[in-house]
Amino acid sequence: MIENKTTATSENNLLVVENLSVTVRNSREKLIRNLHFSIPQGEIFGLVGESGSGKSLTATVILGMLSKSLEVTSGSVKLGQSEITSLSERELRNIRGKEIAYLSQNYQSFFTPFIKVGKQFIEIIRCHTDMSRKEARKVAIHWLNKVHLPAERVFNSFSDELSGGQLQRAAIASAIMFRPKLIIADEPTTALDVLTGERILDLLSELKEELNCSILLISHDLKHIINRTRTVGVMYGGRIVEIGKTSAVLANPIHPYTDLLLQSRLRLNKHIQHELPTMLGEPGLIAEEGCPFSKRCPSVRESCSNKVPMSSLGTHHSAACHLVKAEREERYVTR
Amino acid sequence: MLHVNSISKTYHSKPALNDISLTVQHGESIGIIGESGSGKSTLGKIILGLDKPDQGEVHFRGNNLHTLNGKALKKLRRQLQIVFQDSAGSLNPKLPVWKSVVEPLENYPDVIPSFLKEVRHNRKKMAEVLFQKVGLSPELLERYPHQLSGGQKQRIAVARGITLEPDLLVCDEPTSSLDVSVQAQVLNLLKKLQKDLNLSFLFISHDIAAVQFMCERIVVLKEGLAVDSFLTEDLFSQSRHPYTKLLVEMSMEQENKIEENQHFYT
Ligand SMILES: Nc1ncnc2c1ncn2[C@@H]1O[C@H](COP(=O)(O)OP(=O)(O)OP(=O)(O)O)[C@@H](O)[C@H]1O
Ligand SMILES: Nc1ncnc2c1ncn2[C@@H]1O[C@H](COP(=O)(O)OP(=O)(O)OP(=O)(O)O)[C@@H](O)[C@H]1O
Ligand code: SF4
Ligand SMILES: [Mg+2]
Ligand SMILES: [Mg+2]
Repeated sequence: MIENKTTATSENNLLVVENLSVTVRNSREKLIRNLHFSIPQGEIFGLVGESGSGKSLTATVILGMLSKSLEVTSGSVKLGQSEITSLSERELRNIRGKEIAYLSQNYQSFFTPFIKVGKQFIEIIRCHTDMSRKEARKVAIHWLNKVHLPAERVFNSFSDELSGGQLQRAAIASAIMFRPKLIIADEPTTALDVLTGERILDLLSELKEELNCSILLISHDLKHIINRTRTVGVMYGGRIVEIGKTSAVLANPIHPYTDLLLQSRLRLNKHIQHELPTMLGEPGLIAEEGCPFSKRCPSVRESCSNKVPMSSLGTHHSAACHLVKAEREERYVTR
Repeated sequence: MLHVNSISKTYHSKPALNDISLTVQHGESIGIIGESGSGKSTLGKIILGLDKPDQGEVHFRGNNLHTLNGKALKKLRRQLQIVFQDSAGSLNPKLPVWKSVVEPLENYPDVIPSFLKEVRHNRKKMAEVLFQKVGLSPELLERYPHQLSGGQKQRIAVARGITLEPDLLVCDEPTSSLDVSVQAQVLNLLKKLQKDLNLSFLFISHDIAAVQFMCERIVVLKEGLAVDSFLTEDLFSQSRHPYTKLLVEMSMEQENKIEENQHFYT
């Protein structure tokens, strides 16, 4: 397998995921296959892909929170010097929350009902530090303000008294307040309007600058991925099918899935459309043999039923598709 | 069909909705947009009778929703369904998801939606048809909610929302956690259902592009007030409220940035 040069050889990588595979214990169904990527310190890495392609699952492995019914069958996940997959539950608990902040896609259940949000903040803070209640309260208010919430009111509310976007921002505040090294933001703006969403991403970018931390941004919102990340990985069927510098992938998407994904972006339109363009075939249709996208790919050919390795197109871009070779030849000819 | 008459709602002396009026005709789809915390979900809940307004009333087919009770209310409720913003929380974690999808039918044994006629004797088959409608593979029928991805759960919630073939479907951010291709599919589906079944929609979303595609009319909420209301084709008109203009501008700006990037590197 050809390694991705942009991401795998750099010295100052904070997170390195190598050959990671995850399987369901009883059915042996493979959910994630041979994942390779890394995130240098101080950079934002984007993960996009089909619903159900394994993005959140990847995040769960990095956090060491994989469900008991699933199993890591190969590979490694390194955060700095620690190998996550071999840490004990206690060591993991120390890392989670402090070194890695996780903004879960499931933010609605982040706070426990019947306990005021503020009280939960204080508990979280006191669990990781030796602050007094009064100091902890100050810190909580500070961070609630940072995510543009009416801090006092939210502090004194129960979670079911907050709107979807308010909850999402409160969950974000509680995750980032310990100045983590890595922030995993899983769909951090799904419940937010354009203005609030941009503000939250601005905040994450500011934090990144301030702490020199890394961010794994998982998002369906291609606008955010394109405008905010330096490197991007595109997932389909549990695999990364294209990876590279965001600008390179955007300018020249090789894998047909990436290309179609970029095209099906919903845009504000001067004339109203009657039907949105969709991709061929059922979502989640994954070929077992060869290229996982072959059952839906408009450019499918015979060789696609064979194993398709990742091959690189220049130093900052690679894809797992037979078209890479054709593309390379074309470049060669036109040169 | 639906008349919302000057409703207000205050929580802890902070107004969440302030004198909102709105009409939805049969087969019409109305979009509600506005910033986080502006009162969109509160409005949706009041229209469904899940919450009571402090002032004003909601009439659905001539009945005041907040004074009805018992059988009459139950009958009316069938026609009003919701796809919740919190799709995960609206599914029973102890049931395989196919059961959650057809569960609404248990409460209304006499109801047979037109698109389920052929399979009406078999609950599971019904679930299968509904799954197919929202682009979910039948392999997922037996799964429990925690074994599904965010987008899969959201589509299950949409399937459940249309199970009873309601007259009015309130969708609270129905596609926010779907990838763009699945989103396009679900939006096409909702639009098709609206045409085929003559459904009415109240489509709550912060995604203006999705609202533009789905809705004939748009209402803009800001801090509990309806600051703007217009036909979708007038979205770009100069007479829009400054706040609407701002939302449109922001979306256009993001889009332009992408295009700039694209040209810059090619
Ligand atoms: N405990 C589990 N048992 C079996 N399958 C699971 C389990 N958890 C997740 N899966 C499956 O693994 C796949 C990947 O799920 P994951 O949550 O990572 O998707 P995702 O890429 O985050 O999707 P989305 O964008 O919809 O959130 C899905 O098909 C899901 O159904
Ligand atoms: N049960 C409640 N008790 C107290 N305050 C509430 C309650 N429900 C909602 N609120 C407040 O009312 C306001 C409107 O909330 P609502 O959920 O309608 O907003 P929204 O427009 O749906 O926002 P979002 O886009 O973030 O989901 C918010 O400020 C919220 O905190
Ligand atoms: S390998 Fe073949 S089937 Fe797969 S994406 Fe490329 S052309 Fe399509
Ligand atoms: Mg996910
Ligand atoms: Mg809401």
